[in-house]
Amino acid sequence: MAKNQVTTKSKQRNRNNVAYLFVLPFVVVFLIFSVYPVLRTLYLSFTSYKGFGDPVWLGLDNYKRVLTDKFFWRAFGNTLKIWGVNIVVQLGLAFLLTIVFSDIKYKMHGLPIFRAIYYLPNLIACTSVAFLFKTLLDWKYGSVNQMLISAGITSTQINWLGDVNIAPYVISIVGAWMWFGNSFIVLMAGVQGISTDYFEAAAIDGCGRWTRFFKITIPLLKPILLYTCITSLIGGLQLFDLPYLMNGPQGGTAGQPNGVLQTAVMYLYKFGFETRQTGYASAIAYTLFIIILIVSIIQFKWLGKED
Amino acid sequence: MKLKKVVSALLVSTMLLSCVACGNNNKNTDDANKDNNDTKTPSTEAGDDANTPDDSADVTGDGKLVIWTLAKDLETFAEKYMESHDVDVETVVIEPANYPTKVQTALNAGEKEPDIIVGEPQMLEDFFDAGYFEDLNQAPYNAQDYADQIVDYVWEVGQDADGIQRAISYQITPAGFYYRRDIAQDVFGTEDPEEIGKLFADYPTILDTAKKLKDKGYRIFASDGELNFFSGNTAWVVDNKLTVSEQRHAYMDLCVELYKQDLTAYAAQWSTPWYQAMSGPVPVLTADSDVNVWDATEFASATEGGATTEIFAYGLPAWGVLTMRDNVGETSGKWGVCAGPTYGFSGGTYIGVSANSERKDTAWDFVKFCTLNEETADWWIKKSEGDTVSLLSALEKHKDDGNEVYGGQKLYSFWLEQAEGLDYSVVTRYDTAIGNAWSNAITAIKTDEKSKEDAIAGFYDEVAATYPELTIERE
Repeated sequence: MAKNQVTTKSKQRNRNNVAYLFVLPFVVVFLIFSVYPVLRTLYLSFTSYKGFGDPVWLGLDNYKRVLTDKFFWRAFGNTLKIWGVNIVVQLGLAFLLTIVFSDIKYKMHGLPIFRAIYYLPNLIACTSVAFLFKTLLDWKYGSVNQMLISAGITSTQINWLGDVNIAPYVISIVGAWMWFGNSFIVLMAGVQGISTDYFEAAAIDGCGRWTRFFKITIPLLKPILLYTCITSLIGGLQLFDLPYLMNGPQGGTAGQPNGVLQTAVMYLYKFGFETRQTGYASAIAYTLFIIILIVSIIQFKWLGKED
Repeated sequence: MKLKKVVSALLVSTMLLSCVACGNNNKNTDDANKDNNDTKTPSTEAGDDANTPDDSADVTGDGKLVIWTLAKDLETFAEKYMESHDVDVETVVIEPANYPTKVQTALNAGEKEPDIIVGEPQMLEDFFDAGYFEDLNQAPYNAQDYADQIVDYVWEVGQDADGIQRAISYQITPAGFYYRRDIAQDVFGTEDPEEIGKLFADYPTILDTAKKLKDKGYRIFASDGELNFFSGNTAWVVDNKLTVSEQRHAYMDLCVELYKQDLTAYAAQWSTPWYQAMSGPVPVLTADSDVNVWDATEFASATEGGATTEIFAYGLPAWGVLTMRDNVGETSGKWGVCAGPTYGFSGGTYIGVSANSERKDTAWDFVKFCTLNEETADWWIKKSEGDTVSLLSALEKHKDDGNEVYGGQKLYSFWLEQAEGLDYSVVTRYDTAIGNAWSNAITAIKTDEKSKEDAIAGFYDEVAATYPELTIERE
């Protein structure tokens, strides 16, 4: 009996050891390439490190500087503005398509083809998208303006990327065009996971399309919506590539015109890689991380409170 | 169970082996190099005549050289080098935006490769401070002995704050205005570079020139970025204090007026229309213009009606010779180059030896091959079809060479003259960020988004936020 117990324990221990060995490669890679950089960045955020030499400990000075740096907050505001419009358009478009494709009355055919087509912009490299739209939206030579003028919609060229009141929203729309296919697929998957019995029963009971949408689709899609909103927020607050490439004549971190296209991560990049203030850039990164964390928790609580 | 254990053990061992192998990569090189003492101590005698090609062939080492560059030129140099040297050169071209980070990461980690690293002027100060570039003044390099062979400003750019030579460039990059001789003749009655230079002598004069050109149906510039290389010949930061000279203000006023008075063609720099304007007419574009440049018929009728214009000048550094050459099309031969309102320069690839390299001998030989060898300079002038080298003897030799694109103008002597006027002491590590902030202020004024006072106040705020260590006295 005692011998059997010992053997069983020994087997358990062996089994556990084998499991550790299996996860070890991932854990080691994760520790080296994810955990270490994160902790190192945290350490650097308390120093005046410039990318070389020995870091000098500054305590909370970098964080105080971030909190009082109005240009960081301007960049953060720009990010929210661009992301806010982007998410409304992106989710709106995705929802609209989801409604159309999931409606039991329409019974749309060819969903996989449309899904692939809508997803295509997501597959194009951001650099290509930026170059394409920068060319199309060129103030004096862009074909968008030429078409608008030819169609009599406007009599003068619109400075899409040079007007401070227009440029942020142009980035939002281009971003929405790029990413709505992804949201559509996620939402569609969520809708397809809802049993058609609910919709049929509701239809028999005389519920209209909108009632079905708001009373059945939306509540049952809540987890998916939460996921989409949080991932979009995290991605949105890290927005970098599109505005970086599309601002000013040659792109860059200045966020032309007049800094309205400078996002928080572009601001971080300016300090991390252009002015070589790695310590301060690390503090900006952690401030952003904390903000994203807080907003994500709020979103979780808010969207998940009725569950 | 046994199989699982074996598989997992194999997986782990493979991973660990990979890690160890990666980590030992340089050790293997170390071992290889231990067998060859010459590779650690450069053997090239100081003061050798670098212009003698034979001396560069006397290279020892393990027969390999690794170059990390941001300019593709070095690939071509490396190929040429391999023709006459028994060295296998591996050239890695890295995009300029990523270059500093890659070099920083590798050298901070103590990597022995690359052996050759490069930098553009705005990167060098940080690289020098970090100690990435080998001290070339020490024996056996004794780079200071070659100082009089290279254009002065290039030599200075390659020095650290203590005057120690750490990098040398094979090219000079002073800026000038590339102008259309036929338009100059039509509007100003002369095409002589000296005379046309007077039309760009200072910022108010450039504004007058622009107005005269517009009156005759031309535009002075394709974009309003043509003055970027002439934005001021004063230092932004002096003794840790932000300095905004009168010249900077005059430059700001000129940029605003050029924009507001429709004196440029509004083509964004480096965009397709900007290049197109080098070869012929482009539509006259004002805030009210509505010519469809994509519609060939409409474009043709607009041309007939005189609704197009031609561009008079482009402001570019010496490497612009190559940009223009590839885009001027039928206007080839009608161009000239003249001086701008200030001396300016931009770019240039500075080559040095990595302080971590274990092939410093070969690396220094390669640096000399690219920068101090007259045969290489002759070859490069021919190969690049017009790049301007930094080796004085080569410039002297080619000073009478005419360039057909520019009406036979002797460009090498012109660029040398411009390079001699450069004052490198005005260049600081702060220039890019402060220049961007000034540019933001200019944009805000010209688009009427802010008054001049508010825009300048915003500029000071931005600089203060970027460089809290600077003393800022507001106007």
